[in-house]
Amino acid sequence: MPEQTRFEELVLPHLDAGYNLARWLTRNVADAEDVVQDACVRALKYVGSLRDGDARAWFLTIVRRAFYDWCGRNRPAEIARDDGTAIDMAIDEAAIGPEQAALKSSESRLLADMVAELPLAYREVLILREFEELSYKEIARIADIPVGTVMSRLARARGLLQRSPLLHAIGGRSGGER
Amino acid sequence: MNCHEAGMLVARYTDGEVDSLQRHSIERHLRDCPACTAKHQDLLALRTQIRAEAPYYAATPALRERVRALVANAHDVAPARPRADSDRWRWLTGGAFAGCAATVLAWVLGTAVIDWRANEDVAVEAVTTHVRATLNDHLIEVASSDQHTVKPWLSARLDYSPPVHDLANEGFALRGGRLDTLDKHRVATLVYRYRQHTIDVFVRPESARAPSALRTVRGFNVAHATSQGMDWLAVSDVSPDVLTAFVERLAGADTTP
Repeated sequence: MPEQTRFEELVLPHLDAGYNLARWLTRNVADAEDVVQDACVRALKYVGSLRDGDARAWFLTIVRRAFYDWCGRNRPAEIARDDGTAIDMAIDEAAIGPEQAALKSSESRLLADMVAELPLAYREVLILREFEELSYKEIARIADIPVGTVMSRLARARGLLQRSPLLHAIGGRSGGER
Repeated sequence: MNCHEAGMLVARYTDGEVDSLQRHSIERHLRDCPACTAKHQDLLALRTQIRAEAPYYAATPALRERVRALVANAHDVAPARPRADSDRWRWLTGGAFAGCAATVLAWVLGTAVIDWRANEDVAVEAVTTHVRATLNDHLIEVASSDQHTVKPWLSARLDYSPPVHDLANEGFALRGGRLDTLDKHRVATLVYRYRQHTIDVFVRPESARAPSALRTVRGFNVAHATSQGMDWLAVSDVSPDVLTAFVERLAGADTTP
């Protein structure tokens, strides 16, 4: 099968998934389009080596890679600040950046905005889990981290969102620590 | 199990990431522990809220156009693969793709073995059919959320009458149906919408050539159920547990009208 046909049959059906990931990572339309286009260039090039495995996870891996390359060129500060290992070490609330402090005090902020403002390392695992419904193992492969790290980052991401007063107001549960 | 042990397991349980033994012990713990139950409920509530409020961004028409152009251009350029005796320029630019290639290679090695033997069965054909219909924008021939419209349309064109159920109140909205060929037979395909996902359900008289209960092909999940002489084969990119529950619900729907 020629590369173009393979690409159309295997990768194109997952264009929405790729764009959704890129859109949440870049947080704007034009950049997300650029990232996905770059990912498609790479996917076209390598689709010959893709067996009938999981084309969606394969494509998402490429989109994520393309995003980080793009980010390194255009927003290096964001990678430095939201770097996974650095973030994982910052266990203390005190060490959480100003963005998250703002996030905590956001009474009227929409949940979608809060998700968009999560540190990159948390945002990507949350998007892959909640939107693409991928397993820990698949997310670990895509994000190139151990499964244990997937779990802890998911827990941190959810913890940050749950701390919002907005969620409790809507979620309606009154008990538990704030 | 105590709360300390239950700690991380609650999240994994909520994500469907426990084995049957762990499921059993966590469920027993949750029955007696209000604190951990509250934690479980909180996680479920958060998930519901994220899915309800955070948008799933579908590819823009502009992007689709750009990708289409990309593929068309790739057609024009001769499919000459870069030769192994690459020059210095190729090495330099290739560096940018090296990380990507390594990931791909690891991926291929990991998945190739598992998917090797399962190339030519009904599940693969079903996924191919689903993809083709999606790509050609030919998902639906009779568009209706009314099972009493879809069923007669299909019955009139087949030598059997497929059961049709709208499960919109359970999140699976019937969008319509079409005819397909599967395993050399004409079959009814029901099209459902679940959140942002499309689910194709192939309904046909029970066949000896049925796939295993659950398979993954090219990133799509294929779930299968049988009941009362009929076969239900669901194809979608929704998660395996949701798809399995859905197809079993459809197969069981006829016994509890």
